[in-house]
Amino acid sequence: MGSDGVIADAAARTVYECDGYTLERAVPDLVVLPRSTDEVARVLRAAWRAGVPFVPRGAGTGLSGGCLAAPARLVVGTSRMRAIRAIDVPNRRVTAEAGVVNAEVSRVVRAAGLHYAPDPSSQNACTIGGNVAENSGGPHTLKYGVTTNHVLAVELVLPDGEVVPLGDGVDDGVGYDLTGVVCGAEGTMGIVTAATLRLVPLPESVVTLLAVFATVAEASATVSAIIAAGIVPAALEMMDRTIVAAVEAAFRVGFPTDAGAVLIIEIDGDAAGLPATAQRIEDLCRRDGAREVRRAVDAAARAALWTSRKRAFGAVGRLSPSYCTQDGVVPRTRLPEILARIEDAAARYGLRIGNVFHAGDGNIHPIVLYDERDPEEAARALAAGRDILRACLELGGSVTGEHGIGVEKMAELALAFGTDDLALMRRVRGVFDPDGRANPGKIFPTPGGCVEPRAPRRRAAL
Amino acid sequence: MTAGSPPPAVAAAVAARLGCSVDAADEARAAWIVGGVTPALVARPAAADELAATVGAVAAAGGALVPLGRGAHRDLGHAPTRYDVALVTDRLARLLDYAPADMTVTVEAGVTLAELSAALAREGQWLAIEPPLPAATTVGGLLAADRSGWLAASQGRVRDVVIGIGVVTADGVRARGGGRVVKNVAGYDLMKLFIGSLGSLAVVTDATFKVRPLPERQHGLVLRGRTASAGLALGAAVEGALAVAVAGPLGSGPDTAAVVVRLGGVEADVGAQRARVRELARRHGAEVELDADAADPAVAARFSMVRDFPVSGAGRLAVRFACLPSRLDALVRGARAAVARLRGAWHADPRRGIALLEVAEAEGAAATLAELARVAVAHAAHLVVERWPLALASGIAVWRPMPAALPLMRRMKAALDPVGVLAPGRFVGRI
Repeated sequence: MGSDGVIADAAARTVYECDGYTLERAVPDLVVLPRSTDEVARVLRAAWRAGVPFVPRGAGTGLSGGCLAAPARLVVGTSRMRAIRAIDVPNRRVTAEAGVVNAEVSRVVRAAGLHYAPDPSSQNACTIGGNVAENSGGPHTLKYGVTTNHVLAVELVLPDGEVVPLGDGVDDGVGYDLTGVVCGAEGTMGIVTAATLRLVPLPESVVTLLAVFATVAEASATVSAIIAAGIVPAALEMMDRTIVAAVEAAFRVGFPTDAGAVLIIEIDGDAAGLPATAQRIEDLCRRDGAREVRRAVDAAARAALWTSRKRAFGAVGRLSPSYCTQDGVVPRTRLPEILARIEDAAARYGLRIGNVFHAGDGNIHPIVLYDERDPEEAARALAAGRDILRACLELGGSVTGEHGIGVEKMAELALAFGTDDLALMRRVRGVFDPDGRANPGKIFPTPGGCVEPRAPRRRAAL
Repeated sequence: MTAGSPPPAVAAAVAARLGCSVDAADEARAAWIVGGVTPALVARPAAADELAATVGAVAAAGGALVPLGRGAHRDLGHAPTRYDVALVTDRLARLLDYAPADMTVTVEAGVTLAELSAALAREGQWLAIEPPLPAATTVGGLLAADRSGWLAASQGRVRDVVIGIGVVTADGVRARGGGRVVKNVAGYDLMKLFIGSLGSLAVVTDATFKVRPLPERQHGLVLRGRTASAGLALGAAVEGALAVAVAGPLGSGPDTAAVVVRLGGVEADVGAQRARVRELARRHGAEVELDADAADPAVAARFSMVRDFPVSGAGRLAVRFACLPSRLDALVRGARAAVARLRGAWHADPRRGIALLEVAEAEGAAATLAELARVAVAHAAHLVVERWPLALASGIAVWRPMPAALPLMRRMKAALDPVGVLAPGRFVGRI
């Protein structure tokens, strides 16, 4: 693969000791960066023969430790597989290799009036291979769906090095929907080296609103009211006081820092109907107590709003030496309850917790602020996060909406599913990876093998 | 295919173990013939646990079963190689959970799409999936046969709206995947595995869907394209519609096509879309035959016709092509030419690259099919024989081409149903 494709140097390997989940770290014994599917296949075949398990890795922006180099110590990174193999405008498809950056896909088809809809906050860094592994979401999934809804076919390299195309890009596949099974499997079935993605037309018109509320409760009620009114916004995001203050300090986009909560509401579609829908949303916001509703007047103002939202996590770094982001889901009508439970957890553990989340989907991202130099406080932060996830399950939700199980939530997965459910999933995994060579020690709780994390640390997050 | 009678010992053993009502009367069995094969028993469990016990009993007796809802889509697939028990899920008919404000609904497998739609409509919502024959299509059948219907281009397929699933595996064990929230990446996406698997990997007991608000207004237009190609080009040019279907006759008559456009949204959007469609029609030289609210009887009738095609006579040859949308026009031309001597009709979804053909004459079906298969190859299309004259039954290739991942699929079947309890021989590659 050439000398630049193999990283054996100790210092260089340190870069690969973790992803966005920094609580657990492990420096890999070897990192290989193949340039082609054939090279991936040869690496995996060699590893297979040697009995060596491997960890697939994209850009390393994951948030659940999915590419932690443990227990497998060989990292196979797809970051050099950056070719866009085909752009098919008439059929609205792109075939991109695993290392292509998410935002790049939209960039190359923009002139044709198309885009790739899934837009994780890390979209300027994260790769298509990683997106497929994690079934990544983003703010606009409320209307457009997550990664799996946009993947028509993938090229999969099995753990023994065999290359298997799953799907051929035609919409109705023949046979089992293995593409759908591999999406979100977190690299435990092999390495996806390329994906054929569905593109959608850029909306004719977009309106972005910022609604300012005195309390999180009022903002939550408005979320429910908008949904109940039969409106499906393209995005419906909430930030609470803590996050608004941090974002404003970092980006100065003009958020009122005394607000209890703000909603970013985006609608898109036909130009004809949007003004009336925007007005309905504005009326609902005011009815439920919004003290102010602003409209982004142009593309630049809209971009500023989204930049601040997508960088909110980074901005939190100003507030606290360390923070950790949780990812949970509740049915959207239970948002007020989960927010109350988060507040309880904050009080119980004596911590500050900020909230920035995909309100329309009920997908919460509480950010627990703490100081990692204080091990006792760190332990409390960890406990608070776990309490919140349990509360999500109690309210009928899920322990992860878009960050994945990775190594972080293996224990929680066992709370979400029964033994028979997990046994079935393991059987499915065994079809692709009978000997457990592809990213072992992830997703599935192993009896007695679960590492008790030391303490959370600061993480860049979605 | 002859109706292979199961060994009486298997039927007796199954009957003895079953905790739910079984029926061995000739009349009951005759109602559940699949691919020409008559089951020895009909089991209709009333609850998921009973269904699990039934599967367990069949497995323990060394038998094989075919899961069925109301049987509306049972023509799809190969004849089962073994078929002792028809496992009919129509009594699992409860709506388990519906939280309109959460826009999710959980229903048992035997609920029909018509019943589900009615429950959702009362709250101003819909499952934006319209399979053929919604009154006879159960949730289980919808998932098993992946009947995504004519709204799929704009609203997504079955795989895009199912967020949770309950199943019984071949060993009679109940298991779940997904959940009841719209966004969830905890564990593998088992929904995808079972959707479209024709009951060959597990029996679906319940499913959770994400639903959407019903469009405030729906509207229909029927345009008359001068030729099939003109109709397809016009249909492909329509943006933003709920659905577009292009339809025409087979045979040597005039080359013409109807373009059925279904619009939906808020009043202002529908108005603007309607004006755009009419302008497109003018530019394509198409006549506007119908332009009215979806509640108009003539529009409603056209919508159902498109939705249900091909529903006519049992035993008629019906095929489905899927190709890249850019190849659809050439594919339809090729297919029409291949069957020019025959009567029948074709329907196409220009945005998804789907074409359906139904041939009225039964004679010469084998030769017709061979012709159509050549057309599929020429346009890199998938070809599914959805229904065929019984005389053709032996040796028919229901799906082609075989997917490159067929060996993996066989391994999947072997892992989940090692002894072939579930619909053996029915699926792709006679899995």
